[in-house]
Amino acid sequence: MADEPKPEGGAAEPGKPAAETPKAAPPKPAAAAAGGHTPPKPPAPMASTPWEGEIPGQLKERFGDQIRECAAYLGQNFLAAKPDAVIPILEFLKLEADFDYLVDITAVDYPKRAERFDLIYILYSFARNERLRLKTMIADGAQPPTAVNVHVGANWLEREVFDMFGIQFAGHPDMRRILMPEEWEGFPLRKEMSIIQQDDRWVKENLGIESGQ
Amino acid sequence: MGKFFRTIFLVDLFQGLWVTFRNQNPKYIYTEQYPAERPEVAERYRGAPRLNINPDNGETLCIACNLCALACPETLIVVGSERNEQTRRKELTTFTYDLSRCMFCGLCEDACPVDALELTQDFELASYTRDGAIWDRQMLEEGPKPTQYKC
Amino acid sequence: MPDATFLDTTELVLNMGPQHPSTHGVLRVILKLDGEKVMGTECVIGYLHRGVEKIGENRTYQQFAPYVDRMDYVAAVSNGLGYCLAVEKLLNIEAPARAQVTRIILTELNRIASHLLWLGTHALDIGAITPVFYCFREREEVLKIFENYCGARLTTHAFRIGGLQYELYDGFEEQVKAFCDMFLPKVDEYEELLTNNRIWVARLKGVGILSGDECKEFGVTGPVLRAAGVKWDLRRAQPYSGYEQYDFEIPTGENGDTYDRYMVRMQEMRQSVRIIRQAVDKIPTGPIGKTPKVIKPATGEVYVSIEAPKGELGYFVVSDNSTQPYRVRVRPPSFVNLQALDRMVRGGLVADVVAIIGTLDIVLGEVDR
Ligand code: SF4
Ligand code: SF4
Repeated sequence: MADEPKPEGGAAEPGKPAAETPKAAPPKPAAAAAGGHTPPKPPAPMASTPWEGEIPGQLKERFGDQIRECAAYLGQNFLAAKPDAVIPILEFLKLEADFDYLVDITAVDYPKRAERFDLIYILYSFARNERLRLKTMIADGAQPPTAVNVHVGANWLEREVFDMFGIQFAGHPDMRRILMPEEWEGFPLRKEMSIIQQDDRWVKENLGIESGQ
Repeated sequence: MGKFFRTIFLVDLFQGLWVTFRNQNPKYIYTEQYPAERPEVAERYRGAPRLNINPDNGETLCIACNLCALACPETLIVVGSERNEQTRRKELTTFTYDLSRCMFCGLCEDACPVDALELTQDFELASYTRDGAIWDRQMLEEGPKPTQYKC
Repeated sequence: MPDATFLDTTELVLNMGPQHPSTHGVLRVILKLDGEKVMGTECVIGYLHRGVEKIGENRTYQQFAPYVDRMDYVAAVSNGLGYCLAVEKLLNIEAPARAQVTRIILTELNRIASHLLWLGTHALDIGAITPVFYCFREREEVLKIFENYCGARLTTHAFRIGGLQYELYDGFEEQVKAFCDMFLPKVDEYEELLTNNRIWVARLKGVGILSGDECKEFGVTGPVLRAAGVKWDLRRAQPYSGYEQYDFEIPTGENGDTYDRYMVRMQEMRQSVRIIRQAVDKIPTGPIGKTPKVIKPATGEVYVSIEAPKGELGYFVVSDNSTQPYRVRVRPPSFVNLQALDRMVRGGLVADVVAIIGTLDIVLGEVDR
């Protein structure tokens, strides 16, 4: 398996929240566009509005300061939480708020940020006909717990996140690459991977030709 | 009883055959006898690129603005230009178009402000070498000359 | 589990694919068999991985549009629609009415084309050879409309962000109407060939059952979900591009087996014709929209999804206020649906695996992206 050497192997989520509290000040994760390929611009007018209602109320009551933010951007509700709270929140949303359909799990890489990745869970509720995004920030090498026990469908989605970003999910039954070949090194959707970079060694060993790049 | 007669007189078989024969109507033939019969492609078909020339004076329409090269997702167009000292305008010198990477999306054509670059109805783009897929200005202005077969 | 017998039985591992005619592309399924019975599967995918999401990060918004066509290449128009809607949402603009109606017509035509391809190949897998010829014949008519409209048949790149690039051609309405009139009797004809066909029924009824709850658990959407009796269609649940103005039904099944999925898709084709007929009659006049010169959305992220022929197709686009998307995530319906394959084939017969792969209607270009 083509694991990248992790800075700190399985060490853990308990360490994480502590590292993260000072960072809680800039509340809008996406606004931290500093990681982009453009120099930080004066933040564009954000249409992000606070999201109030039954669900954020319940969540805040239940999870307290584990929830960083409940907001809506362009009418799409999202919720930012601390990594530890993600699985309990997913469970709560599934069992008590009918968010029973896990649409997608994905990640976004912001290499310049201390907690490098945004991990995003998109949920949908058939009963309410509502969508919800749950976001959390995790550092490189952190191992967020898997959501497979809550939503079976998370299995391949998490594998894909691992394949593309190298985020290991703790407790996942089958943490292997899914789209890339097993021997491939690196994680393609990390920002340091450039698009023309190829795995020359892999091409040479497996295809027997010199890479054209 | 009815079932018995159906079996004796092979009704099901004939019903099935009727479907078959119904579909043998020549108007349902879609197969194109390609080299012998050339298919008619749509007017807007996005096929081989062409660099249009002004029919009146034979000069190229292209103003070497480079917009097509910038629009192309595959960055396969290279526009070479030179500044003409007399007219103080850029003039086109070379134009390379790498067909082997083109996906005929039409973005270059949309970007062209003077309709110089156009994707035409020619669809026969095969060549014997890889280099044959890289078209230069002359080729783009003349268009491909596919062999036509007669049967 | 096999009973202990005096004959020693071992599990047989059978590789199906990657080059297998009925895996509809390059899917490799490793089957663990006990005799004819499937004890477990593992899907090996990624043979067609082209890094579409990575390409998206390195192209401008407009430039990325042709690439999405290449994911689900039998429903390129739907892919394009989803992407355009996502970027439009990010820019907070909306396409003009004329563009929206045209988009609906073309997307529904594409749904028909996609379902036709599914029907033909699915029937071929099961052993009915005729439908594939008929289906391709009718699909040809749809592709002709696409070709006339935008100049390409398969990877159409028909829509642009903010509207359309091409004005409707003369005779578009007539051609679409003629297609609708021609097509409905054809659906009856396919049904005549298959619906009551004894072999067809025997091969499909009760095969690959996936209940509604299981669908939700796996995130399976589209006709597979509807065949399990869940009346959910994004066109109705969260209408986009003006679908709320059309009158159509959401066909559902009861048992969630392969036969129901077949029936649901057949009904869906009829409903698509219904939508197209309503839309063609009311194409408004007016502008068709123009792509903004510079697409530079404000920092933010949106998730927009549409009901593609195969299920919920979503685009999660993150913008960092530059001309290139910071991240494009595609939520491919085929990928998520394929995950349920294991649940569906386990305990069944090996011959049914082919039927179940067919009924899931996956396109490997989209699974692997
Ligand atoms: S058709 Fe598309 S890919 Fe081909 S040159 Fe033009 S812009 Fe580039
Ligand atoms: S956009 Fe048109 S005019 Fe400009 S360089 Fe290209 S072909 Fe020439």
